[in-house]
Amino acid sequence: MREIAIELQAVDKSFRNTQVLRGMTLQVERGKTFAFLGRNGAGKTTAIRMLLGLLKRDDGAIRVLGIDPEMDPVAVRASVGYLAEDQTMYGWMRCEELLRFIAPFYPTWDHQLALEYSRDFEVPLQTKIKHLSKGQNVRLGLVLALAHRPELVILDDPALGLDPIMRKQFNRDLITHLQGEGRTVFYSSHLLYEVEPVADEVAILDEGQIVRQSETEALRSDVKQIILSREQTERFADDARVLSRHASGCDVALTVAGAQSVVDQLQREGMEHQVVDLNLDDIFEAYVIGRDESQQETIAADYQSAGTGDV
Amino acid sequence: MILRVEKGSAVPISSQIAQQIAMLCASGKLTSGDRLPSVRELARELAVNQNTILRVYERLVREGLLEMRHGQGTFVAADSQSASLASHRERLVDELRQLARQGIALGLSADEFHALLSEAIAQLQAPSVTEAEVP
Repeated sequence: MREIAIELQAVDKSFRNTQVLRGMTLQVERGKTFAFLGRNGAGKTTAIRMLLGLLKRDDGAIRVLGIDPEMDPVAVRASVGYLAEDQTMYGWMRCEELLRFIAPFYPTWDHQLALEYSRDFEVPLQTKIKHLSKGQNVRLGLVLALAHRPELVILDDPALGLDPIMRKQFNRDLITHLQGEGRTVFYSSHLLYEVEPVADEVAILDEGQIVRQSETEALRSDVKQIILSREQTERFADDARVLSRHASGCDVALTVAGAQSVVDQLQREGMEHQVVDLNLDDIFEAYVIGRDESQQETIAADYQSAGTGDV
Repeated sequence: MILRVEKGSAVPISSQIAQQIAMLCASGKLTSGDRLPSVRELARELAVNQNTILRVYERLVREGLLEMRHGQGTFVAADSQSASLASHRERLVDELRQLARQGIALGLSADEFHALLSEAIAQLQAPSVTEAEVP
């Protein structure tokens, strides 16, 4: 049986009148590197804070390494390495003092490793935390998240404070130290081109719901753009496989999930078409804004046909 | 073996790596018996998921380009050059199909398209003839 590191089942969460998570369901297998993608405000940070037991859910079930974080947050935090989005630490301590201060909280703390990471991430150990730059602050947080060799690492946008060189170094460390040792990594990001080479699996969160969860490579081969003439697209008007629709002149570009089945159908019917491969950015965009766009276009088309008096 | 991964490309990372290794075999830069970096080494060097590298190696083993020797690593296979040609051929046919589609869209007839292709081949062959004549 597959072992599950993180599980959310139909989780709801509202703040006052705003519903942030709507029946969010997600499973992360142990040993996987899992990227959690969504626009700002999609609910990524809220979901992550619930995994650590820092927020209570309104409804649904959550298990992290088999534990309900709401029932036993201390047990979860002891076995999870966590980097918060807006980590605040004791400003008056020097970085090196903080490392020594944190160490006794974790039975598995590896101080040698903490110093190695500090060097790799260029954390100035003798500087007071209140004098760190935003990027240095994130990197210190990463050192704290990784140095106790947790079996599960949850990182809220770790790329945020890293420059391109450090991001590559971080990706390498993630691959060698975390993936290579079979540990589970769950991280949110908005830098999709950084995610693709590293993540085994991705989930796309939009308006509090997971709209797609898939292995990274499988997603790329499943979602493609198909270019057809305008008349041919009519049969796909209400097709659930169509994620987004973009018209230009007499051509229409449909972004579809289940591309193979659409292509098979077009070939059976002998229809001229062109298939275009997409990158992860295009796919993400199709999922999170595609539906709105196609609705707008339908409305625009309605106006147009009403105007010409054809109807 | 120098490989380059282009992030954000429409070509999946695994295909990019597989194509580059196949190209190195076809051009003779990698020859039979050469040892490839381990999955772990290449993953670290390229900052690419180890499973992705493993899948690329496995795919190239299936295509007959590489062979895995138990406990020793991954090596370029004995008849890698012909195997890499076979895998390139498939991709070439794919690209030709796309070119043909563009040709049709431009209103070229089959004869005109053949003529253009012959012309392109002739252009590529011409300099190699002059090079041979120089000494």
